[in-house]
Amino acid sequence: MKARKQRKGLLWLTLALVTALVTACSGNGGKNANSPAPEGSASASATGSGETASAYKDKYDPPVTITTVWGVDPALKFKNGETIENNVATRWALETLGIEIKSLWSVTDTNNAFVTKMRLAMSSNQKMPDVVTIGDAQLAQDLIDTGMFREVGSLFDQYANDKWKQAMNLDPNVWNPYMRDGKKMGIPVLDYAYNHDYLLWIRQDWLDKLNLEGPKTLADLENIMDAFKNRNPDGLSPDKVTPLSIGFKTTMNTWMGDPSWVFGAYGTIPGQWNVGADGKLEWGSIHPASKQALETLKKWRDKGYIPAEAALWDENKTAEPAVAGTAGIIPGPYWMSGWPLLDTAKNVPHAVWKPYPIPTGPDGKAGRHGTHFTSGVTLIHKDMKHPEALFTYQNYLFDHLADPEPGSQWDIGVFKGYDYDLDANGNPVYLDKIPGGEVNINRYWLVKDGARIPDAQMKALLNLADGKEPVTRLEKEVKNNYGPETPAAAKVLMSQPDISYKDMFTGPATPTMQSKLDYLKKIELQTFNEIIYGKKGLDEFDKFVGTWKSSGGDQITKEVNEWYASAH
Amino acid sequence: MATWTRTWPFHLMVWPALLFLIVFNYVPMAGIVMAFMDYKPWLGFTGSPWIGLDHFRALFERDDSIQVIWNTLVISVLKIVFNLIVPFTFAILLNEVRKRLLSRTIQTLVYLPHFLSWVILGGILVNFLSTDGGFANRVLGFFGLGPVFFLGDGNWFRVTVVVSEVWKEFGYGTIVFIAALANINPSLYEAAEVDGASRWKQTLHITIPSLLPMAIVVGTLSLGNILNAGFDQIFNLYNSLVYDKGDIIDTFVYRTAIIDGDFGFATAVGLFKSVISMLLIIVAYRLAYKLANYRVF
Repeated sequence: MKARKQRKGLLWLTLALVTALVTACSGNGGKNANSPAPEGSASASATGSGETASAYKDKYDPPVTITTVWGVDPALKFKNGETIENNVATRWALETLGIEIKSLWSVTDTNNAFVTKMRLAMSSNQKMPDVVTIGDAQLAQDLIDTGMFREVGSLFDQYANDKWKQAMNLDPNVWNPYMRDGKKMGIPVLDYAYNHDYLLWIRQDWLDKLNLEGPKTLADLENIMDAFKNRNPDGLSPDKVTPLSIGFKTTMNTWMGDPSWVFGAYGTIPGQWNVGADGKLEWGSIHPASKQALETLKKWRDKGYIPAEAALWDENKTAEPAVAGTAGIIPGPYWMSGWPLLDTAKNVPHAVWKPYPIPTGPDGKAGRHGTHFTSGVTLIHKDMKHPEALFTYQNYLFDHLADPEPGSQWDIGVFKGYDYDLDANGNPVYLDKIPGGEVNINRYWLVKDGARIPDAQMKALLNLADGKEPVTRLEKEVKNNYGPETPAAAKVLMSQPDISYKDMFTGPATPTMQSKLDYLKKIELQTFNEIIYGKKGLDEFDKFVGTWKSSGGDQITKEVNEWYASAH
Repeated sequence: MATWTRTWPFHLMVWPALLFLIVFNYVPMAGIVMAFMDYKPWLGFTGSPWIGLDHFRALFERDDSIQVIWNTLVISVLKIVFNLIVPFTFAILLNEVRKRLLSRTIQTLVYLPHFLSWVILGGILVNFLSTDGGFANRVLGFFGLGPVFFLGDGNWFRVTVVVSEVWKEFGYGTIVFIAALANINPSLYEAAEVDGASRWKQTLHITIPSLLPMAIVVGTLSLGNILNAGFDQIFNLYNSLVYDKGDIIDTFVYRTAIIDGDFGFATAVGLFKSVISMLLIIVAYRLAYKLANYRVF
């Protein structure tokens, strides 16, 4: 009897708990259903200059809070015990603008950890941050579709300052991926043009000792790689040298140690949508030129020109032999002279890296993947109380950080002891001369990289490459922080603007992509690697193209072209 | 009433665990409906459209479905078998070590890798097994054996996965068997010694038969995991060269469901795995009862 009573009690408790939880969950779910986004609380007459009628202020007192979340680049360094949640940039925002940056969570961004965590947060109805910057295109589209983030076009028109607006107007297409029914649902994060375009970095000291010229064609390159390997000027034995450091663990189209220019030499760029001869978009990996590129890569692997384990190497891994002084060539962005190649001197003091243009293939073709003007999108939560505060923050950065006139407050650097310091005579010092080392404070800003005007950096770099003394903040910054060869690299890069091919598809994933894309990507990478590693013959490529088309590739191509036709 | 006053503290102690079970194991079961929906987080359970068995169809319609399921089975069966045999043997061997301090030290040492995460071990293994001056290949080279591309060759990849998993987990498994060994009645050994049985005979006729029930329990319980080939491990070690031999259900679900955000599909695969596991556990449980006359529960 007693036992029964207890059991009954327990059952009752269980039931109560379950009901409580279920109702709690469903209550939560209901709240997130599409409710119309509230308009900004500010009055329409505000111009963004801080008038009394406007919610917009240059400094908030009492401070307002902006919540956000962070994916922290594993290579990002901190000093003085700081973290992404609490550092010199968050303190600056509170002191100067009265904006408290509050972090809901942060995660070290390896293996796509940020995207995964964000997706899980989204699906479990966790609290979304007021402001979040997303680099992953598909995640950004899904987040917009949740309806949790508000229309931003009106805010942007109302509060963004002229400098920001002009930067945005350099390419009106930047808004395209984030349009929904004619409304702008996210602010594109502007990036420097050509930032992820790459060129070849070659060990000039090796070339000089071997009496070799820089490569003009793939054939020249093969000569050089062979000489680096078998007649190594530093006396390294052939099996210790990585003549060309590339890797393709997850894709053949990336940003450092990238092999896609080998495909470019034959007339396609893999892993992206290119404009075909008929003006329609086509998937670069199935282009016949890919077959020739694979043949070349296989030859290079057989001869030991590329790492034996290239299929296991991601981008950061390809930099390791380069920095260790055992690699002769590494493809990468023009700014690599600053990071990571600057560290080569620690291991091999006489090493000299010089930038070279992308070599041409047998038919004189050359190609590399291009860079969009954006590196992601900033979304604003519809329940954010002070959306104008984001504009206070970003306007300040566009005014003072992006490309200010000479003599402005951040002329020599932003945070003393972080990105610059002063020596005993009051002269600015940079990089390793800063006590405790330099940290990349540009990754500490609320929006990734702070504020960038797409064409500003290239202009500054080309000025410097022509021998002009650095005058503006940006010119000084690139001179001081970006490594000695960066201006020269920019000039090399700009000598081939026409070989830069951007991924032409920037819309949301099409229906067939959602169900088929993973399989198509899988067979693509698998086939390419098996051909390069000699496990399958070159004919396997034709079979792959057939499978790709029949397994949904043709359907995706159709959908992509429908989007392309509607967007252009 | 007298028993109630005496036993209520125990009931109190059970409740937190029970609560935990309900909140984390039973309540989420409601999410199973996602398997039959085109689930969109922002539409919720009430708003997402029902699509019947489409997700299950999609799971089997992919050209690589069979391959992925087969890979999962091969890798996990190998893991289950070796994770049973190795700790079993090792526990018996360790039991023969008469120096208490030595056996305890060994036990602790082999137990340690259990606490390392695959993220760390993955990084270590990639360097350790590298064909480009990795330790394993240097040792092989010393014996004149050619470099083995452990992580880039499908068959070697499976070997690597199973061996490294067993290396990491056998210390943990050993503990269970050592506990079982301690429960063997010492008078059995005394009697055997009186009858003149050698140590080997004692092991064969007393130790092993006494351990078998525990081995059956462990084996039965691990059958439930037959479709879990170890996501953390594979994910940190695999690459496109070994997709044909190393892509398992969980990594494939990760790519389609988590990366591309198709939660309904992920749930459907999870449900599929659970149903298969439950069937296997029931079968194994019956078999264990029939063959070894042993009841787990």
